Amino acid sequence: MPGADLDTTVKLAIYEITAETGRVPNSQAVSRKIDIDEERVLGAFARLHAKRLLLPEPGDPTRIRMAPPFSGVPTKFPVEANGVVYYANCVWDAFGIAAALHCDVISRSSDGQTGEPLTLEIKNDAPVLKPYVAHFAVPAAHWWDDLVFT
Amino acid sequence: MLLFRSEETVNAWCAAHNVPRRPLINLEQLWQLAVHWYANRLTVESRRPGPDEMVSIFASLGLTGPFWDPKSDQWK
Repeated sequence: MPGADLDTTVKLAIYEITAETGRVPNSQAVSRKIDIDEERVLGAFARLHAKRLLLPEPGDPTRIRMAPPFSGVPTKFPVEANGVVYYANCVWDAFGIAAALHCDVISRSSDGQTGEPLTLEIKNDAPVLKPYVAHFAVPAAHWWDDLVFT
Repeated sequence: MLLFRSEETVNAWCAAHNVPRRPLINLEQLWQLAVHWYANRLTVESRRPGPDEMVSIFASLGLTGPFWDPKSDQWK
């Protein structure tokens, strides 16, 4: 993107690749897409992490565990949109993928306790209302203490 | 955060995991949170809401109190 700073260019590349493929890219894939040295891409990953815009894979800074609302690994919240399957980090992010992509989505999820299949849908910019609920186990002040558990 | 069919299954999950019961939100509230957080995520301008903005977003959805305050020390 002409004129954009490196961190913004990297961030947009991460999201463009993810939106297109359903898979969150690693630093090598981002480097290839924007033709910038991988070391500089890794520096941007670290700064985006500091701004709480992504979470690197623990122990491997070349991979991204979360580029919210997208997950870099399969989760219990798969989201289908435009013929692509994405993975959300949590139920909030399952709806977040619809908000980010601005399209209808369907998420075939399940009850956190019983495992019973529960389907979530966004149609025409609104949820298909059902009596389901989301439970926040961790208070807002601690969401980034352990984002995977939150 | 997890999805549940009903309050009953939330209570069962909390008991099974020895986790205190915390706030529940419905699907309409969840959608509004998603829009506030992510509607511009794929754009140049995207950013995560700041602490005061978060409090304001939560309050607009009826989610108030220290649990929803990212600056609260009540939960440390």
